[in-house]
Amino acid sequence: MNHNMNKIYIIITLFLISLGTSAQVDRSKAPEPGPAPKIQIGEYQSFQLKNGLKVFVVENHKMPRVAFSLILDNEPIIEGDKAGYVSFAGQLLRNGTTNRTKAQLDEEIDFIGASLSTSSGSIYASSLTKHKEKLLELMTDVLFNPAFPEDELEKIRKQTVSGLAASKDDPNAIARNVRNVLVYGKEHPYGELTTEETVENVKLEDVRAYYNKYFKPNVAYLAVVGDINLKEARKLVEKHFSKWKKGEIKQPVYEVPQAPESTFVALVDRPASVQSVIEVAYPLELRPGNPDVIKTRVLNQILGGGFSSRLMQNLREDKAFTYGARSSLSSDDLVGNFVASASVRNEVTDSAVYEFIQELEKIRNSVVEERELTAAKASIIGSFARSLEQPSTIANFAINTARYNLPEDYYANYLKNVSATTLEDVKAMADKYILPDHANIIVVGKGSEVADGLKKFGAVKYYDIYGNEYEPSAAKELPAGLTAEKVIDNYISALGGEEKLSSVKAIKMDMSAEMMGNAIDMKVIKKVPEKLLIEVSMGGNVMSKQLLNDDEAVVMQMGNKVPVNEEAKEQLLLASYPFPALQYEKLGVKIELTGVEKIDGKDAYAIEVTYPSGSKLIEYYDAGSGLKVQETKTQKTPQGEMSLSTTYSDYKEVDGIKFPYLVVQPMGGGMKLNVKTQNIEINPEVGEDTFK
Amino acid sequence: MFILFFAFTLSLNAQKSNKIEFTEYDLDNGLHVILHKDNSTPIVAVTIMYHVGSKNEDPERTGFAHFFEHLLFEGSENIKRGEFDKYITNAGGVNNANTSFDRTFYYELLPSNQLELGLWLESERLMHANIETIGVETQREVVKEEKRQRYDNRPYGSLMIEVFKRAYTKHPYQWMPIGSLDHLTAASLEEFIDFYKTYYVPENATLSIAGDIDVEETKKLVAKYFADIPSGGKDIPRPDIVEPEQKKEVRDIVYDQIQLPAVVEAYHIPAQGTEDAYALSMLSTLLSDGQSSRMYKSLVDEQQKAISAGAFPFALEDPGLYLIYAIANMGVNVEELESSVDEQIERVKNELISETEFQKIRNQVENDFISQNSTMAGVAENLANYHVYFGDANLVNTEIERFMSVTREDIQTVANKYLKKENRVVLYYLPESARDQPAESEVKADN
Repeated sequence: MNHNMNKIYIIITLFLISLGTSAQVDRSKAPEPGPAPKIQIGEYQSFQLKNGLKVFVVENHKMPRVAFSLILDNEPIIEGDKAGYVSFAGQLLRNGTTNRTKAQLDEEIDFIGASLSTSSGSIYASSLTKHKEKLLELMTDVLFNPAFPEDELEKIRKQTVSGLAASKDDPNAIARNVRNVLVYGKEHPYGELTTEETVENVKLEDVRAYYNKYFKPNVAYLAVVGDINLKEARKLVEKHFSKWKKGEIKQPVYEVPQAPESTFVALVDRPASVQSVIEVAYPLELRPGNPDVIKTRVLNQILGGGFSSRLMQNLREDKAFTYGARSSLSSDDLVGNFVASASVRNEVTDSAVYEFIQELEKIRNSVVEERELTAAKASIIGSFARSLEQPSTIANFAINTARYNLPEDYYANYLKNVSATTLEDVKAMADKYILPDHANIIVVGKGSEVADGLKKFGAVKYYDIYGNEYEPSAAKELPAGLTAEKVIDNYISALGGEEKLSSVKAIKMDMSAEMMGNAIDMKVIKKVPEKLLIEVSMGGNVMSKQLLNDDEAVVMQMGNKVPVNEEAKEQLLLASYPFPALQYEKLGVKIELTGVEKIDGKDAYAIEVTYPSGSKLIEYYDAGSGLKVQETKTQKTPQGEMSLSTTYSDYKEVDGIKFPYLVVQPMGGGMKLNVKTQNIEINPEVGEDTFK
Repeated sequence: MFILFFAFTLSLNAQKSNKIEFTEYDLDNGLHVILHKDNSTPIVAVTIMYHVGSKNEDPERTGFAHFFEHLLFEGSENIKRGEFDKYITNAGGVNNANTSFDRTFYYELLPSNQLELGLWLESERLMHANIETIGVETQREVVKEEKRQRYDNRPYGSLMIEVFKRAYTKHPYQWMPIGSLDHLTAASLEEFIDFYKTYYVPENATLSIAGDIDVEETKKLVAKYFADIPSGGKDIPRPDIVEPEQKKEVRDIVYDQIQLPAVVEAYHIPAQGTEDAYALSMLSTLLSDGQSSRMYKSLVDEQQKAISAGAFPFALEDPGLYLIYAIANMGVNVEELESSVDEQIERVKNELISETEFQKIRNQVENDFISQNSTMAGVAENLANYHVYFGDANLVNTEIERFMSVTREDIQTVANKYLKKENRVVLYYLPESARDQPAESEVKADN
């Protein structure tokens, strides 16, 4: 009894002591971390089918789910004038098989609560474990029996074309395209561009041929991840994938692109720009598995890898040039790259490039600080550890290890190698991979404001949005004696001459377009003086109506009256003339010739047009034909400034006067509307009631 | 018979491979602690859920609960202003917080050897956060920007505000967590301090930790940092306001900076955890989960009247709302859109769902339920939620049974019981430009 009491007493005392120590916790500073955790990379098992399919199984029974991820290890190919078809092949796999329409696939995938997606190099499918049989049936139906339906191809083609059209107005997309061309060259698959023309050239045969040639088991890896064991996985994979026939694929070999001899500036002149997109980029020979890969990750983390990186601190926090500046240094089996980038205001473009170059020089020339190194390592280790939460990461590690012949313990030692990176290593990596003297400095911006300041960084060469260089002299110098008035006069002559145009007192035009699969009809009637009707309808219902009758302007949308401000009224007034350019002087519209630019690869004179209300736009007139080819207006949006361009093409003669039969108009949200002229009537009978 | 058998094998399956094991206990000061050990990845999620949301607010001081989600990153007695985040990034971690009508949630996701850092940070936040004028002023600006981004400058961003303020006349769900900037401006520092002292107390908090931990060691560390934080000792105010039953349909128009009109219907539904709430949840799976769901297939794919459409239950701690919305395609008028939406509702009310379709939604629900525990942050939050709302953290393992006991008839019954005109608010979202329209498309009041 006594003994027991004693024991209890001791326990209580111990308890009090431990409470006592906890009360003395030092809150004044952050606790030290425990010893770095041993990061166990989950295990995987693998086997191979007779047809060559390599299978990796990562068992993880935390949740009754399983995922099958198929990766095809084909080198990218040169697609030439059909660029885009490889990606189409990938998308179309999911849009119908010889056994199931797309709607049936949707239904069956939802029925088991699964997800299934495809691309040109992969198929991914996941579901609860108990539905794995059905899931594999759907996945392999998609893999083995794609129907490549014609209508689905057209749907994808249409989406792609409208995406490409939108990207022509996107300076970031332009910078990316030009960068790819410059860094890799057009003969390299990474430098190849998909354009509207190449997309139009894609045929179902191309898509089928790609599928038939490259979807082979002997170049494929299948990761099976989740609630499944090796035996089950093997049985399932053998059942569903054994009939897949192997095939010989000759993988292409490419020359490794080289960094430029000396740094130069590639300027994509974009007069509508209020911001410059800057990219400092060059290719690198850095393949996965090279011991430098991990050390360069540390280097890049310090230089431009996150919010506390040098580039961000300098260009954003210190100088306030930009919302964000960053860099990446990537390894790749064919060719890696370095890219540092930011978007900055026009007037600080050269200062920003200067800071980029300074930061690249600085990290080459002096050793980084210990505290930078420590923070960079912590950040990399943390994100590596978090990535392991997804069992698919382990499968990716396994596949990478096989695909790039990495040492078996490459990922197991990854963090050890991150931690072992020294200040000297970072310096050595910078010496080897940071090349401020061999960089392409790509600037997409307003040439007239930024070009001169860029000359101090090297030769300034001009490129169009497809990465084609053009002669800067031709671009910069206007023919002697040319004025804005002469450009407009030439335009009027090109259309048919002032006399002819002035004889047009009324005009009626029917146009059509298509939006999200719906046909849109447009009717435009103009009558001199100052009478206009623009009516847009869809499926017979009038969606919008714009009217001008002398001084009265009315705009209706979906049957509702919309208030018309002065600027809109001014636009209606101009539009009420069959040829607004004839009226510029009379209506007080100011014009100024600002330069020569490339529009779709051809020289065009740029005229800045200022309306009496003060609103401005830039009109482009082809230097050869004299015809108007584009109008660009810059607008403020919540996402920053953004310019919208309307293009005019396919000019045809009606009664001796040329009209653009294709007008491509920007819609909100990056969409484009292709407005095609169906019919034009000159001087028709138009009743006065039309405009009421 | 088949159904019963199915449910049985399911729960076996779930037990076999999906059981989330955890330990839970209370400290003397009332802090509830939940620990889930999973050593597969060397990371740890340190989270605290405070049982305070916008429904606890004074109607003259709305936005307080959410404001604290910002204010409590400003530092504490031992953490200087602006340092909170830095400790976490330098440790290789990430962190964030969010606020709802019913609770406020903070979390850090850290490498597991930094568990103690997470506990220190969270205990500082609970014990003696800095509530100072400078922090209040700074965060007021931030919240202003947040409101602008999330509610004012976003098409349909005001939707929830507009719906809830019409659906509730008495209950504090009538305002959103973002609250009123005027209230925040009018509030004195003492009021913020008082709110902190009332709700940020151990007995109102659940510390939920999931990841690569040693349970015994973690208990010690939790005691080290949290045991000496005193209880608040006061009663925590919880609203007991019961929203009176809605007797007739409420209809209105909201003009917004949008291009495409939209229709929103909101029906009063019972609180979360009730049998009907589970049936209603399955009803929304039927209507809008996946490309083959009823509303998507009919309104978006086939009729192409909507560019987007869906249904989701806002099951809350007190009776919530069932929201159904559709955004019109170009050229589709809003009355037409509404009748297409109502057609789908009528169909559920009048026809029993087929066995096949029912099986499909059961499969989808099961898949979603199981997938919600795929990350440590998710597990920690779910455990805390189940504890705070239902007093039963183990629902993380068993709640699926409640879904699986819903029958086809139950779904039809709840559709008839709650999706009634007199029980709803209907809002038309129209473009600002339509504001001065003539009376022709005036909305007919239907009561």
